[in-house]
Amino acid sequence: MKKLAIIVCCTLFAVEGVNAQDTTDILAQLENEMKKEEKAVTNYATATFKTTRLINGHTVENVGKGVLDVKISHRFGNLNAGGYELFGLDNATMRMGVDYGVTRYLMVGIGRSTFEKTYDGYLKLKILRQSSGKRKMPVTLSYVPTIALKSLKYEDPNRKNYYTSRLSFTHQLIIGRKFSDGTSIQLMPTYIHQNLVSLNKEPNDMFAIGIGGRQKLTKRVSINVEYYYQLPDYKLAGTTNSLSVGFDIETGGHVFQLHFTNSQGMNERTFISGTKGKWEKGDILFGFNISRVFTIGKSR
Amino acid sequence: MMMQKHAKYIFFIAAFCCSFSQAFAQEFNTVKGIIHFRSDAPLELIKASSNEMRGKLDAQKKAFAFTVKIRSFAGFNSPLQKEHFNENYLESNLFPDAYFSGKIIEDIDFSKNGTYTIRAKGNLNIHGITQERIIKSEITIMEGKIRISSAFTVQLSDHNIPVPKVVHEKLASEINVEVNADMISK
Repeated sequence: MKKLAIIVCCTLFAVEGVNAQDTTDILAQLENEMKKEEKAVTNYATATFKTTRLINGHTVENVGKGVLDVKISHRFGNLNAGGYELFGLDNATMRMGVDYGVTRYLMVGIGRSTFEKTYDGYLKLKILRQSSGKRKMPVTLSYVPTIALKSLKYEDPNRKNYYTSRLSFTHQLIIGRKFSDGTSIQLMPTYIHQNLVSLNKEPNDMFAIGIGGRQKLTKRVSINVEYYYQLPDYKLAGTTNSLSVGFDIETGGHVFQLHFTNSQGMNERTFISGTKGKWEKGDILFGFNISRVFTIGKSR
Repeated sequence: MMMQKHAKYIFFIAAFCCSFSQAFAQEFNTVKGIIHFRSDAPLELIKASSNEMRGKLDAQKKAFAFTVKIRSFAGFNSPLQKEHFNENYLESNLFPDAYFSGKIIEDIDFSKNGTYTIRAKGNLNIHGITQERIIKSEITIMEGKIRISSAFTVQLSDHNIPVPKVVHEKLASEINVEVNADMISK
């Protein structure tokens, strides 16, 4: 009985003793509760890339719902053109385009390039989102079908020309992962179909695998690399693989992308399967993309 | 025999004390916690809020803790702004929560209905930086439920959140914060 009394007294004192660290206790309690709840929610990776384009091609990113993204891109001439051409700055091709986020999972875009006077339009559908927590998904997966229309005058107006011969189609899967705050890598298996090619023996269907990534240098600046490897049996003669290196610089609603690339075109068919430049020969083009976003729909 | 009787008394007194202090250790938990903030800069007004603020208050010890997930803030002017808020300013990957915990300076009777103005003294942690703050709040007690409302400001520089020169006109250096919480005892 005496023992029991002692135990009771001890417990009482123990209860009193806790008082000193009430504040830290209550915070720890709260944090524990939050941690338990956290396992029940899914956290999605955001900002895998700064914008919807890596350099020439797409990233896994979409613009938000109701956001209009106006993009103006330039590619100058070859650096090896020398001082007479001011290292390519005398010649520029450009693409003007707009992207719009219909939902969080679907964006649409149209654009027009001066290079081969091409119009292009595309959809970007987000199929999977990288997440942790309750629902775990290691990668983000997007599907990008593109259609492009070359509006150059027919080379031979005397023969029977078909409208469809101007068209080409691209299907791209983009598998991306944000490995850490600053590092993201993506793979882009690509299929291109051209309705008309210049020679009978050339393939209409082409396959390529792209790899690209970004590494943040500071909070607002990152370095990007993009490379498209064309499968040797499915490429046009005289073309090379597209390799580009660039920087993203972000200021508020703008993203500036400055880069060096061996591709002149800015739609999928022209830069993946139509690149002619060779890095080792100095056929390098300086270029930039400017992106400005406008929120049209309801904000969130 | 005598000893046993004494022991019995001690036991009863101890048990009584125990039950008393148990009954008094009233712990309140949030059922609703809303936190708004507002940056009023010359060129842009930015507002966002989260209704996922959680809190605990121990009436006997006068101790409290409130926390909110930075990612849960919504209502920005654009999705991109929300992204920048998380990526560039609050760095919510590194510092996922903000919290305020401490003690109430005044003694208030939580069993009596009424509205009290109190001062909450504690540590305010935002962006991984802790600042000791005394924040004035209003507590309304109604039949065992309490409602807390409070408005205060946060200096971005106090929490190591730099504002780049180009956005000086768009982002205030002092942010107005408003907190409302409904709590019930468990």
